[in-house]
Amino acid sequence: MPKGGKYQLSVDETTLPAGVSFTKPEYQSRSILVLMGDKKVLFGFSSGEGGGGATSSSFTWARISQLLVDGLFFGILIALGAVGLNLIFGTTGLTNFSHGELLTLGAFTAIVLNELGLNLVIAAPIAVVISAILWGWGQNRILWKRLRRRKTGLIASMVVTIGLAITIRYTLLLIFGGSPRSYQQFAGQTGLEFGPVSITPKSIVFAILAAIAIAATVIWLQRSRIGKATRAVSDNPALASATGIDVERVISVVWILGAGLAGFAGIYLGSTQDVTWNMGQRLLLVMFAAVTLGGLGTIYGAIVGALVVGMFVQLSTLFIPTEMKTVGALFLMIIILLVRPQGILGRRERVG
Amino acid sequence: MSFLEPSDLPPTGSPDDVKEFSRELNLDASRPTHGHEASIAQQHASEAVGALIRADNLIAGYFPGVHILNGSDLYAKEGELVGIIGPNGAGKSTLLKALFGLVDVTSGSVLLRDEDITNLRADQLVKRGVGFVPQNNNVFPSLTIEENMQMGAYQDPKAFKERFEAVTDLFPALGTRRKQRTGSLSGGERQMVAMGRALMMAPSVLLLDEPSAGLSPALQDEVFVRVKGINASGVTVIIVEQNARRCLQIVDRGYVLDQGKNAYTGTGASLANDPKVIELYLGTLAKA
Repeated sequence: MPKGGKYQLSVDETTLPAGVSFTKPEYQSRSILVLMGDKKVLFGFSSGEGGGGATSSSFTWARISQLLVDGLFFGILIALGAVGLNLIFGTTGLTNFSHGELLTLGAFTAIVLNELGLNLVIAAPIAVVISAILWGWGQNRILWKRLRRRKTGLIASMVVTIGLAITIRYTLLLIFGGSPRSYQQFAGQTGLEFGPVSITPKSIVFAILAAIAIAATVIWLQRSRIGKATRAVSDNPALASATGIDVERVISVVWILGAGLAGFAGIYLGSTQDVTWNMGQRLLLVMFAAVTLGGLGTIYGAIVGALVVGMFVQLSTLFIPTEMKTVGALFLMIIILLVRPQGILGRRERVG
Repeated sequence: MSFLEPSDLPPTGSPDDVKEFSRELNLDASRPTHGHEASIAQQHASEAVGALIRADNLIAGYFPGVHILNGSDLYAKEGELVGIIGPNGAGKSTLLKALFGLVDVTSGSVLLRDEDITNLRADQLVKRGVGFVPQNNNVFPSLTIEENMQMGAYQDPKAFKERFEAVTDLFPALGTRRKQRTGSLSGGERQMVAMGRALMMAPSVLLLDEPSAGLSPALQDEVFVRVKGINASGVTVIIVEQNARRCLQIVDRGYVLDQGKNAYTGTGASLANDPKVIELYLGTLAKA
């Protein structure tokens, strides 16, 4: 823009990539006041599964089934993040407000590798490993382990997570700028038609991989020696230590796992939507809602909670504007907590 | 469930015996003197040689500058059953926690087979053969009985099967209800799980923090019988108890703690019949 002033902008919809449409027709053209050096998101795009493509609030079976499928996929995505969030909370008591940034970091790690020339198929697994080791294990080693050793309180630690989240977000904004990026592969996929439901192949692949990762985590927790130790540490870290479990080692493993799953979720989100500096933050509250309404500290609760929230968020767009769909998740959380304070699958322990 | 044969009940004494005894005593004389403390420390120094575990002149507390232990000594020889009793706030549990590195020991030392283990991390102590059963929250409620036992054998998973069989010999109910979540168990049942789990580590010395606390009299008897049984199987046991009379009935040797120091020490029977011990501690229990 040469100078500030009022501009009228419009987009020719036929020039857009396939599978991309406006969330609302009135977004196609808008006038805007531009100040020098200012940046704004001018056009709200939706890539098929995000807003379902539809703009009217029609109660057709086609639309409802599309939203259910979208909800299921969104639920699996939330579950990837929620499982890690819940494991870290369970073992360390840390309410991690920077968990969303683990998603963002995963997505950006993959973007960097992708832009260096690696195909996403190769870049994604490498980015997951980097997320697990650098952003998970490294973060715990450098920051949280020290704070635990210093016996920092949980509230103080929570404030640190908020500060860390802001630091990571704005560092990414500084380095990569505010404009959304997308991976070079599989960007504008057309959806496959299953009756009334349209799903992109990449969504299917990601959702299946995510479901496998979640199932593997659950089996690991139930069956493996260190998985059981993780549950023991979640129950009572002091007793776990007195039983001979190296608690710090278990916590390291949990950070590696949680950050790896979160990094994978970030790539999933970045591939089906786009990669932005605040993508994880937008999902954070939904993840918290999933964990809380499912039952804090229970792994099945986090998964069930994520699926419920995912479905509910998508279906709520039948009644409320798409922009407000996250509000529905928080509303649902409050309702469920009023009825079942321990969450859907939360258990109350016998005292004595 | 029952863990106990009726014939296993330990002998009991009535609180009235103690009351009767205490009338003959002079209260001021029952407080230990400085010279008495010095002789107890000397006795410790000469007897503790070659002990399995020994603590010398421990000074420890939860906050800097606030000492709960003011120079406690303690030792246990291989195969001994040692009891620690004393009034509320005397530092009984703190002494046990100091042995297990759960409170910061600012001065003094804890030796296991003459190796310094002062302030070592709990899981490293377990590796060296020290087991600890806390008073409260001593099971993993979301884990089953069997999983609790697996956690006990965490450092030596290959030995799980063999040790679990040994533990179920001692506590048959743990075997028959192995798939039950321990969060649904009663206090007495949890105590059995906690002791069983500690035995899964095959400890050479087991530290028990008030195992009978909060249990009904019948269950308390059961716990004491179990403790005696564990000791009989070759494990050195150090037990902290507020139920002092029962405790002194089963132990080989006891310590009476007062204000973070050893006030009296001797065999269980001699302490139980020591008029000064009765006045200082057993007597107050009888009134309660």
